Formats: sequence, C-alpha cells, structure tokens
Amino acid sequence: MVNLTIDDKQVTAPKNATIYDAAKLNGIKIPILCHDSKLKPFGACRMCLVEVEQMKGRQIPACTTPITEGMIIRTATPDIIKARKMVLELLLLNHPIDCPVCDKAGDCDLQNLTYEYEVNANRFADAKFNHVIDYNNPLIERDMNRCVLCGKCARICDEIVSFGALTFMDRGIETKIACEFEAPLNCEFCGSCVSVCPVGSLLARPFKFKARFWALTNQKTVCSYCGTGCNLTLGVKDNKVLTTVYDENQGFHKGQLCCRGRFGYQFINSERRLTTPLVRKNGTLVETTWDEAIEVIAAKMKTAGASTAALATPRITNEELILFKELMETVGSNNYDHSAGYAHAALTKGFVQSLGVAASPASILDVQKTDLLLVIKTDTYETHPVVGFEINMAVKNKEVKLNILSDKRGKLSKLPNAKTLIHVPGTEIAVINALAKVIVDEKLADGTAASVPGFAELEKALAAFTPDAVAAQCGLTAADIKQLATDYAKAEKALILFPVGLPYPGHNEDLASALANLAILTGKLGKEGCGVLCMAEKNNSQGAVDMGFYSTAGMDAGKIIDGCASGSVKTLFIAGENPVVSYPDHTKIAAALDKVDFLVVADLFMTETAAMADVVLPACSFAEKEGTFTSVDRRVQHIKPAIRKIGQCRSDFEIFGALITKLGGKPSATPAKTFEAISSSVAGYAGMSYASLGETGAYAAVSVKPSFVVPKTMSLASESGKLALVTGSALYHSGTMSQYGEGPMYVCPEGYVELSRNDASKMKIAENDLVIVTSSKGSIKLKAKISMRMPQGVLFAPYHFSETSINRICSGAPVTWVSLSK
Amino acid sequence: MSEAVAQQIEEQEPVIDLSLADKIIDKYIDLPGNLMPVLQGVQDEYGYIPRVAADLIAERLNVYPSQIYGVLTFYAQFHLKPRGRFIIRVCVGTACHVQGAPRIVETFFDKLHIGHAETTPDLRYTFEKVACLGACGMAPLAMVNDSTYGSMTVQKVDEIINDYNQRPLK
Repeated sequence: MVNLTIDDKQVTAPKNATIYDAAKLNGIKIPILCHDSKLKPFGACRMCLVEVEQMKGRQIPACTTPITEGMIIRTATPDIIKARKMVLELLLLNHPIDCPVCDKAGDCDLQNLTYEYEVNANRFADAKFNHVIDYNNPLIERDMNRCVLCGKCARICDEIVSFGALTFMDRGIETKIACEFEAPLNCEFCGSCVSVCPVGSLLARPFKFKARFWALTNQKTVCSYCGTGCNLTLGVKDNKVLTTVYDENQGFHKGQLCCRGRFGYQFINSERRLTTPLVRKNGTLVETTWDEAIEVIAAKMKTAGASTAALATPRITNEELILFKELMETVGSNNYDHSAGYAHAALTKGFVQSLGVAASPASILDVQKTDLLLVIKTDTYETHPVVGFEINMAVKNKEVKLNILSDKRGKLSKLPNAKTLIHVPGTEIAVINALAKVIVDEKLADGTAASVPGFAELEKALAAFTPDAVAAQCGLTAADIKQLATDYAKAEKALILFPVGLPYPGHNEDLASALANLAILTGKLGKEGCGVLCMAEKNNSQGAVDMGFYSTAGMDAGKIIDGCASGSVKTLFIAGENPVVSYPDHTKIAAALDKVDFLVVADLFMTETAAMADVVLPACSFAEKEGTFTSVDRRVQHIKPAIRKIGQCRSDFEIFGALITKLGGKPSATPAKTFEAISSSVAGYAGMSYASLGETGAYAAVSVKPSFVVPKTMSLASESGKLALVTGSALYHSGTMSQYGEGPMYVCPEGYVELSRNDASKMKIAENDLVIVTSSKGSIKLKAKISMRMPQGVLFAPYHFSETSINRICSGAPVTWVSLSK
Repeated sequence: MSEAVAQQIEEQEPVIDLSLADKIIDKYIDLPGNLMPVLQGVQDEYGYIPRVAADLIAERLNVYPSQIYGVLTFYAQFHLKPRGRFIIRVCVGTACHVQGAPRIVETFFDKLHIGHAETTPDLRYTFEKVACLGACGMAPLAMVNDSTYGSMTVQKVDEIINDYNQRPLK
C-alpha cells in the first residue's frame, strides 16, 4: 500500500493504482469523461486534471498517473476548476446543444459536468459538425456530431469485445470515430459501445423517444437467455420494460452484455404474449377461465396418473421446477425431463460418473485466473458471449494461452496467438483420448493420477488412440496432438470449456468424461484457474439439473416423445419447451404430440408446440416473477419482479401450485418457502436464503470425487459425396425464445447455412442464395452464407428458427450428412 | 454493406489483381509491426490502397479492418482512391501566395476541370495544393511528380499541361 494525501486527507491505496483510482477508493470524486474502470487508461479528455505538489503544481491527468509514496494531490483548486471549465467550453464548442431531443439527457456525463461546473457561456465560437448520422441498423444509432472523442467505444470494442468495429479516422479537428471505409456499423451488436458512451453519440435505437432517463424505474435482475447468469438492470415505465440500463458495477462481468441480453428484452412486453388461458373446443383454441383450465388439466392428470409426463424448459426458476416435480409426484408419475434428455447428459451422466457430481468443478471467474484455456468448439463465444468477453480479456490482458479444438474456426481463433486445431466433425472424443494417451505415455500425468479409480482400464482403452492413428482419422497431425497435450499438461493452471445444449447432440456424457479424464490425469482439478466448465445452454440449465428435474426412474425426454406416439403417455404437460422446433426430428415430434391424448402447454407465446395443445396457459416471463436461477458455474441468483403480471398471466409457480391444490396436495405457499426447502435438501445449496443471496448471488459448493471413465467414441459413418452439417447456436440467439426479442431478430432474422468459399465456388453458390439442404430426414431451404471460417466439406446451421427449423433434417446425430442444391 | 455501396466500390475498382498484394504480405508476414511496410508496398503497387486489398491485409495480418482504415486516414501518404499518373503540386505557402500562387492554382483548376486533391477521370492528373515545398526562392512554385517548375506563370501552366498530355500513361 502507498500513503498519500489527497485534498488534505491522509489516504492509502494499492501500489499500482492511478491517482484517479486512489481518489475513488477513498470517496474523493474526480470528474472523468474518457476513463472507464474496465478499460486501459487513455487520458484523452483532460477533465481529470489535478495538481501534484511534487510536480511543482503542474496540472496532470489523474487517470493515467500512477501514485507514489507521499504524493500530495489537490483535486479542486481554483486553477484546476478553471482548467476544467475550459475543457468543457472547448468540448461544447462543437458539441450540439440538442439536449431536449437527445435520449442521453439526464444520463449524460457531459451534460452533468457542464451543470456541475456551471459552464453557462462559451468564450469561443466555431461551427458545429455536420456529419451524416448512421441510421443503417435498427439497434445502434451513431451520431458523430455529438462525439467528444473519448475513444471509449473504439477501445471497448477492441479490448473487451475484440470485434474492432470502430476506430479513430483522420486527425486534428477532422478526427472522428468511424467504421472501416466509413461503412455503416455492421458488427455483433452487443451494444458495449452504447453502454460506455458518455454522451448521446451512440444510442440504443429501440429505446429512442420511449422515455426520459429519469422517468425509468430500475430493477436489477438476471438475464434469462444463456447460462452465464449475467446481471441485468431493466428500465421500467408504466409496467413496460423499455430498455436495459448499464451499470458498470453489476456482476462479475461489470455490466457487459451481449446482443440478446442488451437488446433482446422486448419479448417481455411483446404484443404477441399470451394473456388468457385457452382451451380446445371443436378443434379450435378458445378463451377460457383459469378455474376451468385448472379443472380440466387436474382431471386429465388424475385419470392419466402414472402415464402423465412432463417436459420443462430450463428457463423457469428452481422453485418452479421443484413444484413441477411435486405436481408429478402428486399424480404418481416420475416421467419428467428437460432439454431433450441429451443436452444435460454431460452433467447428469458424464460428470456424475467421472467426478461424482452433476456440476462443473470450475467457475467463469477461473477464465481470467488460468494460464491456459482449452476451448472445445469456438461456439463457446456464440453460446455464451459474455464468457467469450472474459476469454478475450484473459488472452489480451493476462496473456493466457488459448487453444481451440473445433470443427470450424470462429471469433476466438482470431485472438492473438490463439492456436486452433480443426478436426473432422464428430471426432472430438477421439482427439481428446489421443491427448490423454500422450499425457500418459510421455509421463506428463500428475503423480496422483495412477491411484484414481479406473486408471488401469483407461490406460488399456487408450491403447488404440495413438496420436498417429487418431491424426489420420481426424484431419490433424500427430505433432499437433502431441504439442497440445504437452502444453496442457505442462501449464501450471489450465481450464477446459465446452458448450452443451440442444444443437450439440455430440456433446454428451462421453465428451464430458473424456475432458474430465484430461483434468484428472494432470491434477488440474479443485484448484483456482483449473477444472472443466460445462457451459449449459439456458439460464437455469444447471438449476434444472440441481433440482433433479431429469429422468432418473421414469421416462426421459426421448421416451416421453415415443410414449406419446405409442400411447403409453396419456397426458403431457409442457412448460416452456418448444420441442416441435428445438428437439431433433421434427416429423417424429409433431406426429407424437399430435397423437397424445391430452397436451397442456404453459408458455409466454403461441409457439408451434402450444398451437398443438388442448389447453394453453399464459405463463409469466422472468421479469414478472420471483425465484432463483443457477448459472453454469453454480452461482445461485435471486430474481424479483420488475413489472406486474401481464393480462391474466400466471407464473408457473402459481400454475403448478393451483394444480397440486386441485389434486388434493399442499403446495408451498411462496417461492421463498420452496427455496428454504431447496437449501436444506439440495447438495451445495445449504445455508442459502433469499436474504443471503443478495444482489450478487452465491456459489453452490461443488465437491469432486474423481474417477476415470472410458468414453465411447462416435462411429464415423461418413457418406461419400455428402457434406457434414453441424448445428449450433448463432451469436444473437438463445434457444427459440430469442425469436420473440426484436433486437436479436433485427440482426439475425432467419436461419442460414454457412459454407466455405471453396465449396461455394465449386457449387456456384453466392452469398444469400437460397439453397436446398437435403438429408435422409427431409430437406429445407436456407440462405447461404459464405465464410472464411468453415473448412471445406463442413456446413454450419443455427437451430433457433421456427420457419426454417433445422430439426426437419437433423435427427439428433452429432453430424448430419447432407447434400446442397440450388 | 448495402448493394448500392458495393456497386459503387465495384465501379471505382474495376479489376484488382490481389495476388500482387498477397506477394507483398508474404514478404512481411513474420515481421513485427508489419502493417506500415505492407500498406506502403501495396500503395506502391497499385498507386493507392484499394478497399479489397485493405480487406485482404486485415484478414491475413489479423488486424481489424477499422484499424487499417484509421492508419490509412491518419497518414497523408496513403490514398484511398486511384491517383493520377502525374501528381501536380502547387505551393500556396506565404512566399508563393504573395507571388501569385492563387492565380496559378485557378488556372490549373480551369484547364484540368478538377479541384484540390482531385483526379482527372482519365487518371492522368491529380492536383494538390501544398503548404510549402521548401524552395521559396523560386516562388511561385509547382511540381509534377519529381520535376520542379519555378517562377510559375499562367503561360507556363499551359506549357506544362501540353508537355504532360504528350507523355504516355503507363
């Protein structure tokens, strides 16, 4: 610690702090425009000038000057005030005073400072700029006339987002922020630049002219898209969620959000929300009352008894999942599951066998604390963009080595010194086994590994996976495999990341076990910056596993669907899932749901699945209810209602409660009570309560009992002359729900198929051509997207879209063999 | 990119042989801080930096296209549009101004039908006003590529244009 004096106050601050940091730490305010705690110091705006006695009273910028022992600093002498006033006068020389129509008014740093420093006249005069305003995209408006050239937008886009859409162009008075060749903004639309802009140069267009900043009520909550568990502040007015509000102190991610988190909130107040219960009469769904709907459902469930089944989305709260289980127990059925059954197998089967726990022995915070990252599939960036930001920062600021093992390139492959190994789709487990083989053979394993149960069996099973044998099959070289294995084993700390979810049928228990083997072999478990992080797809995927909402004794999701078709399932209750679009094999799912005697769907929207139901119940979004979500790294977070319930919507908690009551049971009265039960029964949740979770949440402990498991490799039945189609997540979407968020739909409105330049030119396919993708299951028309990242012979398609649902051609195999035609 | 913008760029840049740029990138690919030499090499090759070449450089050097654009617009040495075969520079510094440079400039504008920093459609001439060429004793001063013309007059403008009109474009 360093001792110094700021404004006659004796203070201490850490050694590497700047004057600004030290002042802030001790409650002394220094005004800033260009500084952001997340970014590297820049020193562009000169608002933070202070006087340092040792520097003969010179005015120096506080944000770039490191502190030294005994420094005597004055932050508000008359000279300093005068200098700051002049900085503001100079900024206001070109900045238009259009505050009455600027959305930033009230939240504008320049406006606030002008007010604070009473700059009510300008001694200078100059013409205002007349730059063309960029209205070319529906999400971010760029008005460079208001720009104060703090550079925060260009810096955050480089330092954290690593997209680099913006830059300073020209110089001197002509300088402005622009995209390459002054093209319209065309980026990943995470809105990070909007969040840090100190003035109204970058604005969220969906929020334009909706409300003044001060008229909003802010409600802190948790994002309901992916499993990262980002904290979110919703800006609410008149019971409408109008925007997301940036809060730089929120969460581990310091307020950073992705496109869906920042711009995907519109589904909450969407016109398309279901508002009344519907019941099918004479073939059409007609409005009904809650009483009637509950009565009908309760009667059907009672009659069906043990042949009732349930599918839930891992987007609903832990408390709701517990109550749903209770409802199923009340009718005497144990047929319940989520995420098609396979999307949670990595946790519920793989990690359970290998680590003795259905949770990841690592946290997102480890990304920045490790020495080496092994990322399985670059899709990690697409499925969990904010974890992607963490990876960017780890690689750029902490010099973490990044190794990627994937079937295609992606944004992460572009990071400095990133090593990407592209393998043939579907061979990832063989490659990982080969890594394990190298670690064992080259004596790189940890001393304790041999005593872990199952070592002998694993060693025997690995015999077939010599790097040479695997290399030939996977399209890699043996040297690459050996190098990666050596790098991983020799790194002091190493962390493995892999995504799981509905579009990744190959990311199953075997992949999880294969990866766990690597971590156990090298002793990279249970230490800071080490472990394996299974990145589950939805906001509460880990919670659904923790709550035990998956088949243990009863039917799993696949069997439930089969049961609907065969008649062994009489009543099916679907809460929030949309299997018709998201589960593999569209034809089979649609036929099964058509066949089942009685189908209940509780959802926010009239989804393709809801449209087939006998009763449709309008459920609440995350913004209308209370409960807890558990993130991929088992951070349990409390959400509270931001708005009143829309129409006659009821939370799933209330729906299940009413049904349990109707069936003669006694449901828990409030989510809080249910959470008390959770904290006393669920391993790792002990001692938690809504009060103890607070705003930041709490981590549920994960204790690991490692053992080696021999993973099965996939059989690679490649079909000659066909292309390998792999599915996944698009950066702008999560599940099928983001289809109801206007932001994501503006940027990425429909499905597409991505192919390599070589394949495209061979088949004479141009960008945006409609191509027919045909598999043994069927065919769909998709727009072609030609990209550098795809290897030859491999296609990629995202799965989120109803109209071009990829499950019409995919049947749940890791790789689908398809042909393309125009 | 909108189709209109794409079309515009296509019109400006009819045929660019990117293999030339590739060769320059190959030469510097392992050099730390290779962006400047690559950009200078590419400009020497094409006479300016075509957008497609900038995109190629971004892709191969793993630099953001925006960052390349920042560099290109920061330095006066880089040009984003095709330049004339002959670059005419007329000094408008103090000494030349006093000696009548504005009239020289006007005459070039009239004869060539282009303004400051513009290029004739046949890509023969690019005209630039410059602040000082460092030869005030010869004011008013003009330069065409590396040749210097001192004590410029309106008549000499005609002579220069007639002279350079005869010279081959390639």
